[in-house]
Amino acid sequence: MKTKESDTKTYLGMPLYRPKVGFFEFSSCEGCQLQIVNNESTLLDFLSLVEVVSFREAMTEKSDDYEIAFIEGSITRDDEVKRLKRIRKNAKILVALGSCACFGGVNQLKNRFKNLNWVKKEVYGRHPVDTEPVRAVEDVVKVDLKIYGCPVKKEEVEKSVLHIALGKSIEIPKYPVCMECKANENICLFDLGELCLGPVTRAGCNSWCPNSRAGCWGCRGPADDANVEYMKKIMKEKGFSEEAILERLECFGGFADFLKRKK
Amino acid sequence: MIFRTFKKDELKKLVEILAAHNRIVGPVEAGRDKHGSPIYAFNEVSDFNSIRLNYTTTKLPAKRYFLPFQEDLSSFRTEGGGWQKIIDYNADKPLIFFGLHPCDINALNKLDKVLMHSVYPMPYYAAKRKNMFIIGVECIPQTFCFCRSMGADTALHGFDMFITDLGNKYFVEILTDTAYNFLKSIRTEEPEEKDHVLYMKAVAERNKKFTTRVDTTDLAKILDMEFQSDVWKHWGEICLSCGTCSNVCPTCYCYGVEETVDLDLKGARKTKTLHSCNLIDFAEVAGGHNFRPERHSRLKYRYYHKHRGFVEAFEESLCVGCGRCGESCLAGINVPEVIASVRGGKIKK
Amino acid sequence: MKPELKFVDVIAQQQRRHKRKNDLACFEHTFRSEVTSVYPLTEMETIYRIQIIDPEERKRFRFIPGQFLMLELPGIGEAPFSISSSPSIHGEVELCIRKAGNLTNYLAKVGRGAIVGIRGPFGTGFPMEEMHGQNILLIAGGLGLAPLRSPIAYAQENRSHFREVNIIYGTKSPANLLFTYQYDMWSRDDINLHIIVEKADPSWKGAVGLSTDILMKILSGRSDDFYHNTYAIVCGPPVMFKFVCKMLNTFHIPMQKMFVSLERRMHCGMGKCCRCNVGSTYTCIKGPVFDYWTVMNLKEAI
Ligand SMILES: Cc1cc2nc3c(=O)[nH]c(=O)nc-3n(C[C@H](O)[C@H](O)[C@H](O)COP(=O)(O)OP(=O)(O)OC[C@H]3O[C@@H](n4cnc5c(N)ncnc54)[C@H](O)[C@@H]3O)c2cc1C
Ligand code: SF4
Ligand code: SF4
Ligand code: SF4
Ligand code: SF4
Ligand code: SF4
Ligand code: FES
Repeated sequence: MKTKESDTKTYLGMPLYRPKVGFFEFSSCEGCQLQIVNNESTLLDFLSLVEVVSFREAMTEKSDDYEIAFIEGSITRDDEVKRLKRIRKNAKILVALGSCACFGGVNQLKNRFKNLNWVKKEVYGRHPVDTEPVRAVEDVVKVDLKIYGCPVKKEEVEKSVLHIALGKSIEIPKYPVCMECKANENICLFDLGELCLGPVTRAGCNSWCPNSRAGCWGCRGPADDANVEYMKKIMKEKGFSEEAILERLECFGGFADFLKRKK
Repeated sequence: MIFRTFKKDELKKLVEILAAHNRIVGPVEAGRDKHGSPIYAFNEVSDFNSIRLNYTTTKLPAKRYFLPFQEDLSSFRTEGGGWQKIIDYNADKPLIFFGLHPCDINALNKLDKVLMHSVYPMPYYAAKRKNMFIIGVECIPQTFCFCRSMGADTALHGFDMFITDLGNKYFVEILTDTAYNFLKSIRTEEPEEKDHVLYMKAVAERNKKFTTRVDTTDLAKILDMEFQSDVWKHWGEICLSCGTCSNVCPTCYCYGVEETVDLDLKGARKTKTLHSCNLIDFAEVAGGHNFRPERHSRLKYRYYHKHRGFVEAFEESLCVGCGRCGESCLAGINVPEVIASVRGGKIKK
Repeated sequence: MKPELKFVDVIAQQQRRHKRKNDLACFEHTFRSEVTSVYPLTEMETIYRIQIIDPEERKRFRFIPGQFLMLELPGIGEAPFSISSSPSIHGEVELCIRKAGNLTNYLAKVGRGAIVGIRGPFGTGFPMEEMHGQNILLIAGGLGLAPLRSPIAYAQENRSHFREVNIIYGTKSPANLLFTYQYDMWSRDDINLHIIVEKADPSWKGAVGLSTDILMKILSGRSDDFYHNTYAIVCGPPVMFKFVCKMLNTFHIPMQKMFVSLERRMHCGMGKCCRCNVGSTYTCIKGPVFDYWTVMNLKEAI
C-alpha cells in the first residue's frame, strides 16, 4: 500500500512533514479503520500525505517503525495493555481513533454489569476469555490527540493528518451538535417527542443522526462546557424516564465523568 | 405608495406566472410535531398549492437564502510559493420570496443596516439581497410574538409588495416598479373607500391578538446598570450554550472564518461559518485566553449586542420580537422573561 | 414583457472599486505582498518587512499610527497585526510578530520572499495631529513597544511639532527588551528614553522597577501648564495601562488625552463578524485605539 510518490510534497513552497503511521486495532468493530479505507475519492491524496507502515485492514507486511500510531478500540485484556504500552514507546504521537478508544465506546457498557463472570459466560460461551473492565486508551497510556465518533468521520481524520503534515493545530468543534443540526435545518427531535443528546454532545459529525430523524446518542462525548446537569432535568421535564436518559448518557462512555460526579 | 386590490384566485395566477420564469421560495409545511401541529419552513416551491399562506412563524428564519450557514469567501490556487485569490460572492440567480411576515422583513432591514449600509459593506450579502424580490403577507400574531413591543409589527419598506387579506380579496401595497410591472400580468383594481375601511379593520383585529409585551423603555441604559445583576447567573445556569437561539434568529449574523488547505494541496479556501456568541469559543484569542469563559457572560453578551450595542450604533434594537429563540430554546430562555428579570432584578417563577 | 427578474451583478458593478470603505469590492480585497526582510528580535518575536507588490497599490496605501492590518497566508490563516513602522513610508510596513499559532508559526517557516496577502489598514489610530504643540508621553510594556514604534517614528520625523517627548519602556527582564538597536537614534532626536526592567540580571546597569515608577518621577512637581498640555499613548497589557492611566489621572491629565490599544479575537476587521466586541463595541472599527474615557465606559474592557 505504499504510494509511488516518494518525493516530498510542498505547500506554499515549504516541504511537508510526511509521517510514518501505523493503525492498530484493539477491542473494536474495525468500523473506524474501514471509514478511512472506504474513502475512494480521497484515498490517494490521503496516502500521499503519510507513509503507512502498519494497517491491519489492508496490509500484511508490518513494521514497528512509525511516528504516529492510530489506536482503534478499547482496552479489555492484559495482553492488550502490554501491546498498547509497546506502541506508545515507539510512537511520537498517539491518536485515539473513535469513541471506543476515546471513552471505551459501546464496549464499556458491560462495565455496568457487576458480575463480569456472567458476561463472560453470556458472550464467550464455554470458552471463557480473560476480560477485565473496559478501559479507554487514555486510562492506560498518554494520548496526544482524540478523534471522536462512532465511527469517526473520514473528513476529520483526513483533516487531522493534513494538519499534522502542515504543522497546523488540530481544532475540533467545542460547541454541541445542535449548532450543526440547525444548520442542516432538521426538525428538532424534541418537537417530535423524541430524545436527543445533541445539546450536550460535541459537534463535528455534521449532526449525522438527527439528519435522519434519529436522536443523538452522544457518541462524540460531551462538548466543552456541556451543561449535562440541566439537560438531564430538561429531558425529565419533557417526560422521559430516568432509565431512558441514563441509557443514552451511558451508551458510549463519553459522559462517564458526569454520571460519576452525580452519584 | 400605490395600493391595489385583487380577487383571491388571482393570487394563484400571479404565483404560477412568476414561478414559470423565476425561482420562488415560500412557506411550506415541513412536518408535524408530536401534537400534530404543522411545522413550517421556507423552501423553494413550484406549486402554488404547497404554499401555506396562513402559516405561523417558521421554526427557522429565511436567513439561509442571504446568509448561508457556511460559504467560501474566497478560494486560492497555489503553486510553488505563489498563489492566486479567487473571489466569488456566491450569488447567481434572482429569487422571489413569497410570504414574508412583517417581523422577517424588518429583520432584513436591520441586517441591511449593518451588512450593507455601514462601513465595509458585505458583498456576499449584498449580492444576494439585491437579487431578491419580496412579497410580504400579513400574519396572525402568536402568543410568543412581541414584535409590537420592538416596533417591528409593521413593515414600511424592505419589500416589493405586501398583501393583506380582506376576506374576499387581497389588498396590496406596491413599493417598487418591478412589483408594479409584475402585477400587470393579473387583474387588479383601484381600491375603493370601503376597501380602506376593511383594511383598517383587519389591522385593528390583528392588533388585538398581541398578548406578549416587553418593556423596552430605557432598556439600553438599564442593561448597563444591571451589568453585574445576579439574574444573569440564573440564566447562565440553565443555558446549554447550544447556539440554537442564534441559529433560529432572523437577525443574528456574526461568524467565524477558517482557512483550510485542500487535501490535494493544490488549493485552499477561506470559509465563513455563522457562529453564536453563546458558544464557548466565541471570544477566545490566541494563547487560549477566553474573554467570556462563563455561560452567563456569553448569554448576557447576546442581550447586550441585541438590545444595547445595536441601539448605540443604529438607534434601534437588533431584535424584531419574532419569539423564535424562546420557542426553540430547550431551556426555555426567552426574551420577554429575560428582560423582565433584568428590569425587576429578580427571576419570576 | 416577461415577468422575470434580471440578475444584478454587483461584482461587475464594483469590480474595479476597492478604494473606499464603502465599496463592496473592498471587503475581500487583498494586496498581494512580499516579505522582503525578516529580522529576529528574540526567540519568539520577529520583525517582518512587507511590501505591496503592485507599484500603483503601493503608492495608494496610507495608514495612521495605531492602525492594524490583516495578514493572510492562504489556507493557513489570517490575523490582525498592528503596523509597527513609520506612516510616512507608503506601501511598505513592518510588523513585529510573536509566534502564537498557525499563521505566525508558518510565517516564521516561509520567511523571506514569501508571498502574503494584506488587507487594511483597519481601525482607529492615535490622533497625532491633534497632539501637535503638546508634550507626549509614549509608554510601552512588553510587546506593546511594537505598536508604539509607529507613533514614535511619527514624533521623530515631526519632532519640531511637539514639546517634550518621553518614551517609557518597561519589560520583565533585560533579555526581553525589543528594538535595542534603535534606542540611540531616538535619543539623538531629542526624545527622552527611559527604560526599566522588573528583574535585573548581573550585567544590567539601568533602572529596576515598574514603568509607573518612572512616570511618577517625570510627572512630579511639574507646572499646571505641563499637565494641561500633555498627551499619553499607552501600549501594553490591560493591567499595565490601567495603572498607568490611573496615575496620569491623579495628575489631572484628562482621560480623553490618554490613548490605549485593545486586543480581541478578530475574524474580519470590518465590523461584521462581532468576534471583537467589548461589551457591545466593535474593537475593529471603534478601536483598537480608544481614549481612556471610552475604555472606562466599556463593559468587559479591563
Ligand atoms: C488589533 C490587534 C493587533 C495585534 N497586533 C499584534 C502584533 O503587532 N504582533 C503580534 O505578534 N500579535 C498581534 N496581535 C495578536 C495576533 O493577532 C495573534 O497573535 C494572532 O491572531 C495569532 O494568529 P495565529 O494564526 O498564529 O494563531 P491561531 O492559530 O489563530 O491561534 C492560536 C490560538 O487561538 C485559538 N484559536 C484559533 N483558532 C481557533 C478556532 N477555530 N477555535 C478555537 N480556538 C481557536 C487557540 O487557542 C489557539 O491556540 C494583534 C491582535 C489584535 C486584535
Ligand atoms: S434534534 Fe437534537 S441536535 Fe438537533 S436541535 Fe434538537 S436537540 Fe439539538
Ligand atoms: S449525532 Fe450524536 S450519536 Fe450521532 S454521530 Fe453525531 S455525535 Fe454521534
Ligand atoms: S439560550 Fe437556549 S437556545 Fe440559546 S444557547 Fe442557551 S440553551 Fe441554547
Ligand atoms: S432575539 Fe429572538 S425574538 Fe428577537 S429577533 Fe432573534 S429570534 Fe426573534
Ligand atoms: S447576538 Fe450574538 S449570535 Fe447574534 S449576532 Fe450578536 S453576537 Fe452574533
Ligand atoms: S473583527 Fe469582525 S467585527 Fe471586529
